[in-house]
Amino acid sequence: MSTVDVKRRVLPRWSPKLAIGLGLIGVVVVFGLVGPLVVGDPNTVRDIGLTPPGGSFWLGTTQTGQDVVAQIAYATRGSLQIGLVVGVLATVLSAVFGIVGSYAGGIVDEAFSLFSNVMLVIPGLPLVIVIAGFVPAAQRGSWTIAIVLAITGWAASARVLRAQTLSLRNRDYVAAARVAGERTWRVITVEILPNLLPVLASQFVFAVVLAILSEAGLSFLGLGASNSSTLGTMLYYAQNGFALQREAWWWFVPPGLVIALFGCGLSLVNFSIDEIINPRLRDVPRKPGKVAATVEVVPATRGSDDAVLTVSGLSVVYQGEKPVHAVRDVSLTLRRGEILGLAGESGCGKTTLAYAVNRLHKPPAEVTAGAVTFHDRDGTDVDVLGLGVEELRVFRWSKLSMVFQGAMNALSPVTSVAAQLDDVLVTHRPEMSREERRKRCVEVFTLVGVPPERLGAYPHELSGGMRQRVMIAMALLLDPQVMIMDEPTTALDVVVQRGILLEILKFRDSLGFAVVFITHDLPLLLEVADRIAVMRDGEVVELGSAEELNVDPQHPYTRELLESFPSLTGERGGFVRGTPALDGGVR
Amino acid sequence: MRYYVRKFVFYLVALWAALTLNFVIPRLMPGNPVDILLAKLQQRGGSIDPAARRSFELLLGTGGDESIVSQYFAYLGNIFRGDLGVSVSAFPAPVSEVIASSLPWTVVLVGIATLLSFLVGIALGALVGWKRGTWLDSLVPATTVLSAVPYFWLALILVAVFASALGWFPLAGGYDVILTPAWDAEFLSSAIYHGTLPALTIVVSSVGGWLLGMRNMMVSAMSEDYVLTAQAKGLRDSRIMIRYATRNAVLPSVAGFAISLGFVVSGSIITEQVFSYPGIGSKLLQAVQNNDYALMQGIFLVITVAVLGANLVVDLLYALIDPRTRVSGG
Amino acid sequence: MSALEARDLVKEFGVRDGVRRSVLRAVDRVSFTLSAGRTVALVGESGSGKSTIARMIARLEKPTSGEIVLGGEALEGEALGGKVLGGKALGGKALSDREYRHRVQMVFQDPFASLNPFHTVEHHLARPLKLHGRVKGGAESSKMVRELLERVTLPAEFASRRPHELSGGQRQRVAIARALAPGAGIVVADEPVSMLDVSIRLGILKLLARLQREENLAVLYITHDLATARHFSDEILVLYRGRVVERGPADQVILEPRHPYTKLLAAASPDPSARGREFSVGREVVEAAGSAAAYDHFAGTWAAV
Repeated sequence: MSTVDVKRRVLPRWSPKLAIGLGLIGVVVVFGLVGPLVVGDPNTVRDIGLTPPGGSFWLGTTQTGQDVVAQIAYATRGSLQIGLVVGVLATVLSAVFGIVGSYAGGIVDEAFSLFSNVMLVIPGLPLVIVIAGFVPAAQRGSWTIAIVLAITGWAASARVLRAQTLSLRNRDYVAAARVAGERTWRVITVEILPNLLPVLASQFVFAVVLAILSEAGLSFLGLGASNSSTLGTMLYYAQNGFALQREAWWWFVPPGLVIALFGCGLSLVNFSIDEIINPRLRDVPRKPGKVAATVEVVPATRGSDDAVLTVSGLSVVYQGEKPVHAVRDVSLTLRRGEILGLAGESGCGKTTLAYAVNRLHKPPAEVTAGAVTFHDRDGTDVDVLGLGVEELRVFRWSKLSMVFQGAMNALSPVTSVAAQLDDVLVTHRPEMSREERRKRCVEVFTLVGVPPERLGAYPHELSGGMRQRVMIAMALLLDPQVMIMDEPTTALDVVVQRGILLEILKFRDSLGFAVVFITHDLPLLLEVADRIAVMRDGEVVELGSAEELNVDPQHPYTRELLESFPSLTGERGGFVRGTPALDGGVR
Repeated sequence: MRYYVRKFVFYLVALWAALTLNFVIPRLMPGNPVDILLAKLQQRGGSIDPAARRSFELLLGTGGDESIVSQYFAYLGNIFRGDLGVSVSAFPAPVSEVIASSLPWTVVLVGIATLLSFLVGIALGALVGWKRGTWLDSLVPATTVLSAVPYFWLALILVAVFASALGWFPLAGGYDVILTPAWDAEFLSSAIYHGTLPALTIVVSSVGGWLLGMRNMMVSAMSEDYVLTAQAKGLRDSRIMIRYATRNAVLPSVAGFAISLGFVVSGSIITEQVFSYPGIGSKLLQAVQNNDYALMQGIFLVITVAVLGANLVVDLLYALIDPRTRVSGG
Repeated sequence: MSALEARDLVKEFGVRDGVRRSVLRAVDRVSFTLSAGRTVALVGESGSGKSTIARMIARLEKPTSGEIVLGGEALEGEALGGKVLGGKALGGKALSDREYRHRVQMVFQDPFASLNPFHTVEHHLARPLKLHGRVKGGAESSKMVRELLERVTLPAEFASRRPHELSGGQRQRVAIARALAPGAGIVVADEPVSMLDVSIRLGILKLLARLQREENLAVLYITHDLATARHFSDEILVLYRGRVVERGPADQVILEPRHPYTKLLAAASPDPSARGREFSVGREVVEAAGSAAAYDHFAGTWAAV
């Protein structure tokens, strides 16, 4: 099990792309290794001149009668050799400058980083050409070329590795290893390096491709190594032998094709490596907000006359090899103007439920059963699961708005707060003039206690509490009847949290919308919510008024949750220092 | 403010590094390039006035007993006066003149081609990322093949097909040789006609890199909370794609422009050779083949300065599209 | 006898603001004493400097000034009195990092980040055992690893697992076992339960309390949660903007807070029995009181900071 997992972290996932990539690489490498052993001497000059493919020359001959196949076999070997050598050298250089520098930090990092950035902006090939121009052709061996290419080609990788190392060195496990007493070199090689393997591999592959391409270019210009023949050298002779003008395609097409196939193979492998580094690239999504075709539209009956949202028998399943039932047969009624708390721990399905109500759930999640009915102020009922794409878009935010947990990322970092509020009005209220929209934005800002002059601010210029207030202001813009709040204050300090809670309670009274308040913090809900649903494993295990839950919890899990929060001023209960107490089993 | 100061300082350092490299490289190399140059000059019947000799010596090393430090400062002085020495292959034209005549060709060709490929790559990448899971996904491996192809080989193929076989475009050159360069419609249209295949080569080979980078960033941006918020806000898909996902995803592509520009410039130099384009890449090669060291170094410097300048412009533009760089502290 | 004494710890960070550089004092002259078998809690909001103090005690950051002195016979009977670390020495010699970490260990906040995803549980526990010379050879090491797991109530077969195969609570137990491995007498617990699901938080705190009793550990408990601070620790220090504004026995600080900031924190904590209440103390009152003076419940007086 564990070895399988290491493989998954280090080796790419099997896919057609990877298979084709490895196949291409394999074919070219085998050709370069074995080819020279079976073909004849590539330098044998025959007096047959330029001959098209056919007979004993599969790919014809050059203008001096040399066998093109034999030349390609040797040239492939030459190109691969130089690619490999440069790939290794450049990766080592980039690792030294990227990893060591960024781990050392301080002045070393500044110096290394400046050095690699300067090397990066100085164009590589012109520099290589100049250096090659100064070295007399007789002294231009393949090692000279390899070293020059490595020196001019490592900087981009160093930058990538530096960024990765910087993020890794601040991980707690690196600090933990230091606290455990590990020495610096062991922290780098044993704790950091293994986690960099995919990036290193990807940079190595990149360096090999770059080296083969650069070397080909250099040889094509006649500036390559004098003691080895590569695919670029072949193209140089083809160009100077007027292969193009004489339409001798068999001479200049195959060498480039070999480079292209090999480079393509490496790039395809790199795709798969990228998917390890950034798992988001991996899964191919289907259409979001999916409702299974089998879900019957049941006209929901209003749980009570003042209901604004009725959820009946809702089930959400994460489809896959082993389908996971995240929400099982949940029925809830949200009354007009009430705060309904949804409490539970991570993975209990509370967020999935809230998203599914607005059909914001992402594949592979799918609503498999149930109904969500919105009871509008004007008396019409809206079957949310049955809405068409455009109807759903219009429904969102104008009837039901949301406040998300991560206030930092819920606002786009590069757009001003005003523009993000304005977007809502432009889309939902096209009849409003610019002036009216501006007025409305100022209005909601004032409501939530953010000075209107902060409208022009960007999210990073606001504190966490301010950002969450801006989110609430945005949710108020269209005067919705329901607001779903997903852990709206969890990331905030208690005092800031308190202030925002007081605001929410205030609006609920003055504006009269209903709130679904999702949190893991049951004591908080006991204080602010009217009714509370406790969720566990996708099911609502207990639903009751806050008072009932506080005084007389029915379900053992509710009691367990309540006991998990020691009272600030009350007795210590089961949690007493100094006396032996059970500390639970394996959880 | 701080961002701008930092960028300016960085590019000054990079410029200094390039100038110094240019000074150091010939001095590290075997042989005595000045003697080779002067011998060549004499073959061509050129007279060597002391000023020309001096500027060669400063560029390439004197071999005398002048201290390296005073050589270095005299060299810098010469460079800042624009004195890059005399070209041997185009004797008696000074290097600066040779460069001035060929630079516009390259700047226009590479500039337009790079801009085009950037815009096309970013637009396609954004679309492919947004429509992930549709047939557009197949564009990704297709462009990968194109970016794994050497520029000059693609140029050869394009010439073979469109110039030799189909005869749609000229085989080589930057303009019709019967014309004299001038700012008239006839010359310009001839230049555009001749520049199409070289530009196509650069666009086709470099567009894949932009496309792939943009697509990956787009996929990442689409799983960010702000896109989810935008969806919850009931915004139209086109608005979410452009104003939220693309707007954020484009930042790394612009920030990484420097890396890509280096590759494009390198590729273009060789491409010019295939088309016998009258640009700076062909001149560089010509200089190398003729041991015209002064011209070689002059071209290297000019290319470097141009690339640094382009990168500086992009970095300044970046500050416009990412408000976080404008923070006083950042 | 004190196990660790922090004297006038100061930590300053350079802040660049445009061309100007200014200095932010994250921790301002904080002193406290840790003793074997006792827990001291540092309480404060984010930015109060509490985590910086934890990192200084764990030697992950160097204090700008001030001293950390280890001493006391609690440490394996050795007389270590007067060994001074960080800041200026007071006659005693400075301990090497290895020696220091032999005595001071840390439990990190986020068990999802503090275990290396690449390595097994065995690696995480065996390395400190080996580094601090507590085992010789593989057989002994693997026996000790299983013993450690048992002490944090994890089954022995967890040794071969990797972090992602464990739940948050199990990970934090591994992290605690790792901190125990070197046999240190002092443990810094930096918000050890704040990233965990609520229903397992008390279990982890109870485990820490039990281990503390069994090993007679000196514990520094860093938290933003007043309630667990009160129940888990003997002494509480309230931090506000890098300074201690109130200190005293746990119950007294929470039940009879004197500084407006402590009162504000207490008032902001959820209290189901007080629905719909308003703040008893406003931010302005705290701002006005500032951090110029601290209340010391032991002495029963205010003192200028």
